[in-house]
Amino acid sequence: MDPPPRRLAAPLLLLLLLLAAASPAARAWKKDEFRNCNQTPFCKRARTRAPHSLDAPLSLAAGSLAVSHDGSISAELSHPSRPRPLVLRLSALPPHALRLQIDEDYSTATPPHRRFHVPDVLLPDLEARTLHFPEPKTAAGVSTVALSSDLDVVVKHDPFELTVRRAGSGDPVLSFNSHGLFDFEPMRESKPEDETWEEHFRSHTDKRPRGPQSITFDVSFYGADFVYGLPEHGSTSLALRPTRGPGVEESEPYRLFNLDVFEYLHESPFGLYGSIPFMIGHGDRASSGFFWLNAAEMQIDVLAPGWDGATAQENGRIDTLWMAEAGVVDAFFFVGSEPKDVIKQYISVTGTPSMPQQFATAYHQCRWNYRDEADVDGVDAGFDEHDIPYDVLWLDIEHTDGKRYFTWDRSAFPNPEEMQRKIADKGRKMVTIVDPHIKRDSSFHLHQEATDKGYYVKDANGNDYDGWCWPGSSSYPDMLNPEIREWWADKFSYENYKGSTPTLYIWNDMNEPSVFNGPEVTMPRDAMHYGDAEHRELHNAYGYYFHMATADGLLKRGEGKDRPFVLSRAFFAGSQRYGAVWTGDNSADWDHLKSSIPMVLTLGLAGLPFSGADVGGFFGNPEPDLLVRWYQVGAFYPFFRGHAHHDTKRREPWLFGERRTVILREAIHMRYSLLPYFYTLFREASVNGIPVMRPLWLEFPDDKETYNNGEAFMVGPSLLAQGIYEEGQKSVSVYLPGKESWYDLRNGSPYKGSVTHKLQVLEDSIPSFQRAGTIVPRKDRFRRSSTQMVNDPYTLVIALNSSGAAEGELYVDDGKSYDYQQGAFIHRRFVFADNKLTSFNIAPDNLGKKFTSDCVIERIIVLGLRSVAKKAIIEPGNQEVEIESGPISLRSGSSPVAPTIRRPYVRIADSWTIRIA
Amino acid sequence: MRLLLVGALLLCAAAAVESKPPLDTLGIPPQDEAYYRGGVIKCRDGSGRFSRDQLNDDFCDCPDGTDEPGTSACPEAKFYCKNSGHTPVTIFSSRVNDGICDCCDGSDEYDSNVTCKNTCWEAGKVAREKLKKKVATYKNGVVIRKQEVERAKEAFANDEAELAKLKGEEKILQGLVDKLKEQKRLIEKAEEEERLRKEKEEKRIKEKAEKQATVEKGAPDASQDVDSKETQDHVQEDENKVAEQHDGHATDHDNHVTESGASAEQHGSVSKDGISAETGTVDELPQKESAAPTLEKDLSSDNPEGLSREELGRMVASRWTGESVNEVSKDDKKGHEDEQEIPEPAEEALEDELEIPEPAEENYGGYHSEVEDDRHKYEDEEFDHESEDEYVDDHDDHVESYRSDDDQKGDHHSDLTEPGHASWLDKIQQTVQNVFQKFNFFKTPVDLSEASRVRKEYDDASSKLSKIQSKISSLAEKLKHDFGKDKEFYSFYDQCFETKEGKYTYKVCAYKKASQAEGHSSTNLGRWDKFEESYRVMHFSNGDKCWNGPDRSLKVRLRCGLSNELSDVDEPSRCEYVAVLSTPAVCVEEKLKELQNKLDAMSSKQPGHDEL
Repeated sequence: MDPPPRRLAAPLLLLLLLLAAASPAARAWKKDEFRNCNQTPFCKRARTRAPHSLDAPLSLAAGSLAVSHDGSISAELSHPSRPRPLVLRLSALPPHALRLQIDEDYSTATPPHRRFHVPDVLLPDLEARTLHFPEPKTAAGVSTVALSSDLDVVVKHDPFELTVRRAGSGDPVLSFNSHGLFDFEPMRESKPEDETWEEHFRSHTDKRPRGPQSITFDVSFYGADFVYGLPEHGSTSLALRPTRGPGVEESEPYRLFNLDVFEYLHESPFGLYGSIPFMIGHGDRASSGFFWLNAAEMQIDVLAPGWDGATAQENGRIDTLWMAEAGVVDAFFFVGSEPKDVIKQYISVTGTPSMPQQFATAYHQCRWNYRDEADVDGVDAGFDEHDIPYDVLWLDIEHTDGKRYFTWDRSAFPNPEEMQRKIADKGRKMVTIVDPHIKRDSSFHLHQEATDKGYYVKDANGNDYDGWCWPGSSSYPDMLNPEIREWWADKFSYENYKGSTPTLYIWNDMNEPSVFNGPEVTMPRDAMHYGDAEHRELHNAYGYYFHMATADGLLKRGEGKDRPFVLSRAFFAGSQRYGAVWTGDNSADWDHLKSSIPMVLTLGLAGLPFSGADVGGFFGNPEPDLLVRWYQVGAFYPFFRGHAHHDTKRREPWLFGERRTVILREAIHMRYSLLPYFYTLFREASVNGIPVMRPLWLEFPDDKETYNNGEAFMVGPSLLAQGIYEEGQKSVSVYLPGKESWYDLRNGSPYKGSVTHKLQVLEDSIPSFQRAGTIVPRKDRFRRSSTQMVNDPYTLVIALNSSGAAEGELYVDDGKSYDYQQGAFIHRRFVFADNKLTSFNIAPDNLGKKFTSDCVIERIIVLGLRSVAKKAIIEPGNQEVEIESGPISLRSGSSPVAPTIRRPYVRIADSWTIRIA
Repeated sequence: MRLLLVGALLLCAAAAVESKPPLDTLGIPPQDEAYYRGGVIKCRDGSGRFSRDQLNDDFCDCPDGTDEPGTSACPEAKFYCKNSGHTPVTIFSSRVNDGICDCCDGSDEYDSNVTCKNTCWEAGKVAREKLKKKVATYKNGVVIRKQEVERAKEAFANDEAELAKLKGEEKILQGLVDKLKEQKRLIEKAEEEERLRKEKEEKRIKEKAEKQATVEKGAPDASQDVDSKETQDHVQEDENKVAEQHDGHATDHDNHVTESGASAEQHGSVSKDGISAETGTVDELPQKESAAPTLEKDLSSDNPEGLSREELGRMVASRWTGESVNEVSKDDKKGHEDEQEIPEPAEEALEDELEIPEPAEENYGGYHSEVEDDRHKYEDEEFDHESEDEYVDDHDDHVESYRSDDDQKGDHHSDLTEPGHASWLDKIQQTVQNVFQKFNFFKTPVDLSEASRVRKEYDDASSKLSKIQSKISSLAEKLKHDFGKDKEFYSFYDQCFETKEGKYTYKVCAYKKASQAEGHSSTNLGRWDKFEESYRVMHFSNGDKCWNGPDRSLKVRLRCGLSNELSDVDEPSRCEYVAVLSTPAVCVEEKLKELQNKLDAMSSKQPGHDEL
């Protein structure tokens, strides 16, 4: 129950109410609580510097460039005024990727501290995959070496500048320091008398005992019309807008600093919960990427053409300025002929996304909080009563005993195992929250153990860091330390986590880390970690290590047989290996619905395919129409979860009247019907990192119309959808790319490609289309949860292109284990051509384990078929089946629109051909 | 015999589960079987037609599911389970052969990898027992309700009579008061004239004296003193009137007003400032105001420098939790919630209309006696709803006045009809007549004792009048309410229902308000709004504001029970409360018939009957 409000004097209450009502900003983002670039000395310094104006520009020490025994190229960078030289290393990664590392030379003079290298992000086999560079050719202070058959690396010696260019044309693709902004503050032995290293922000003091150590450089993307990436920021724009230069009003740079931002803005370069320093440049002539592995605070400017005062603007080049507070240069240059290649290369460095279990791709129901077992029962029953499927029910922080994670509030949840069993009996799962802050309570065994073992992050004085979070006074395990991660992982065993069962999965929140009384609501930068590392050096990766340890815990718990499901709020490069992320505490307004698309698309481009935004908006009460629109869009998010703040009204999908219940059910049903397609897309993502939800230009890289379209999106290669982001919108313009037509998912109507269509907005769906030339597998029978759909038959929807052809894939495995890694899966390619549909096996069949299924195809809908045949012949067997005109979806009132092959009953596991006679 | 029966039943059930049922009846309710006869059958939504061999062929031909009542092929189809021995049910097609037993006869899983036991006999028995109990409750409830309705009609008629009577009295009294007022005015005029005359006289004497002895200073005159005192009395009286008017909009705590003149002035002034005159507010106000800037600073957080690290942590946490900075944390809030009783699981919900029969409790208390007790418990609550206030105001007077004036504490209705009561009005009339007769307006100087008697009579009569008027308005207010088709909720007007859940005490006063009390602090969960869902729900709205949330509200679901009992208070959404009230008022005959029919149907469908 809600406690009675504290008695406030009426005038004060009134004042507060007025404040809340009159200025929404008063409730929203607290700008002053966060540092801007001007308040951040390294950023201010770097940002105000003019090109080529450095006092001590670094240059290659004469004769130092050489190919090392491991095949990489090394060199020394120096300037007469610097105390020590820097060591440069270049390595080639196939295909078309270059790694540039620059660090201090610790062999000549040892500084008191080594700079931080972010561990456990790059794949361990990276070094082994490094190619052997040929001998560089040096002439007139420029060395050139081949990166691949069609790419060269060009190193200018004085000042140091690096360019990756096409071997044939000599066109540059990416360059480093071509504006002479590369600065690398050397670590100093001790603080000079006349300097102050301390930094103050509001009531907080950062001692900065190691002094300045920032790094800045400029990177240029040639042939790029736009740059993308750098999650996480609120934005309604898919492309990164310029932050400096002609035509840009006062703007902060894009900030990468993981923070728990209360009521974040939907449009701001300010950094949110996660950071991935990866940027993609794309134009119709080139696609390239740049990744800087650095976990310190980073600020990045996207510079508008002419920012440098250059009059003759090179066509299609975007310059960017990268600034970090600490760390080293460990940068990757990716060159793709297509944008998908760039993502694949990034993934080849940071790892492939984990393959989720089937249930995790279905609908999740969450709320802060489902309060007790009766509430859980009631919500579960509500879904059944209204025939709305869902797979996972979530419990937020209130389920614990006083925010002591791994415990249960036994008065509300006296029998957690029984509760989970009841949910599991319907094939459903549960998720509980486990946050990194541990309640400082001597009677809490976890705290006691962490204290005794010295597992907590330390403050600047070497004591266990004590911050404030949900439980009050809290400490934070030092997840950087592999031993502590191991210890943490063990906490998820059934023995250690009392009340957990095999159908319970985990949610990591607040892992930025969020510290309510810390500077900028996080941990002080001078806190100390394992290996003499300062928090400032790894801040952006703390949540990543926490996510990693939790996922490892679930893996251990299931003896390596059960794929973990862990949702994390904070993330870093590589988080894709450990699970899903979501866009944090958004708000129930139309702008946040709109910005969710560019945000989720950007996460996908940065290697995190499994993401979504809280459907409905976390803060505030969505108007029913907004909620409906959110479900309709959310049903396409790779991670589809409804969630709400505890102050909001209940919003389970049947609470908004009969009509809306029907529409919401429809939206969720659509997701369930597309689960086979989604799962196939997750498979693709897990192999090469190509996101599930994609910007249009990823599928249509030559179509300039698509480059900054952040309103529409692709789900895989076959479906396009566009949200309705305005209240009461009557019509909507939807651009359908490419030369081929598109078929309306609801009624099969064809629409021409390369045209912006003005469509009437419907209440019961958002514009969504299947691209001609594709085949989408569906399951059109609905169940309580995805678990009961396993044996249900499939429907194939074939959308023929102008040459009467189409193709698509279906991937199926057991939906939960790792057997697929030994080949236990079905992977088919369906090809339709010449009035014939053929199912080909594309799974390698020599991997060991097998998976099969008796599932059949019950219906094949062929959109755009010119034949009027009434029969089809199945081979082998020469069996005849009927073709009738049928609807595209099985909803009351839908009318027959396309030839439908009735009950072919061919098994998805088999190879066959169906010929339309 | 019974064993045999059960045995036969089990055999039969087992057979039913194992063999695939005939397709032409699978999942079709008996009343629809006729629809499916014939060679070509229409989809119900008119979208098409299908042949007989397409019926239940596990392929959806009609998007509305007409052709697949017995399979999961059409998402919109419904499956009928016969459930012999229990109640037939219709389930969503999504449940057919999904591996979960939904029908007690197991007929929904005819082609899946689970074997469902036929549990209809057992489940049916339990359900019948429950239904029997429910029917019994309804039977008794209907009787009680009838009595209540009778009583309510009588009470309503009495109240209407009372109102008419009061209006008559008001008219008479008004006449008297007007007369007295006029008389008072004349007296005052006479007094004023006398005063002026005296003054003139004094002035004359004084001037004379001054002339006589310039050294002598004029001491204040005794008569002047009296005059000024009288003027003050007038002022006082006016202020009292003002105070009374304001009290009409204030709270019961204003009985201080009538208790002491001094505090009346104070309260009056507070009321004028538009601040509710809650007990203690006056004293606390300065303190709270001084506390305000601090808190404001905390919340705006513009200057955290002054905060301790813990305060900062709490302040930032409070943004998410919406809690006061001074409260410990979300955790502790939860800690409080922990003590809440968890609502009974779903079973309870299903059977929520069942009540264990209990002897009917006579709750039909008197109008005031009942409320009086309640009021005292409400010590620190606001009653600023207008209608209510008048009522409360009346009540405040009543504490004293009914005792002294009516001599008949207790039932308000009967007061009026008793002869003693009538004499009360006569007495006043008589007195006034006497006053009129005795008072000599032309006598000079004014007889002071007569004048004060007139004033007293005026005061008495007008206070009596205002009491009657307030009774009239409260009664009229009451009668305006919706008491249900048969006035079955009439007795609710003067009742509050209470229940304790954890450390909170919930109190629901129909037509007035609902509250949640914890110790001495009380939260308003809502003011009476209306009945909803044809008198199945009482809605209270616009309660205390929730931080970052809606105004508190409460929906009380009514179910048939033999006495009025509040239970199952819950808060499914923040600050949106629900509760259940058992009451005979909703034990309606039609529902009883319906239940009885259902029970009869269930009993007749027992497999025993079928088999035999």
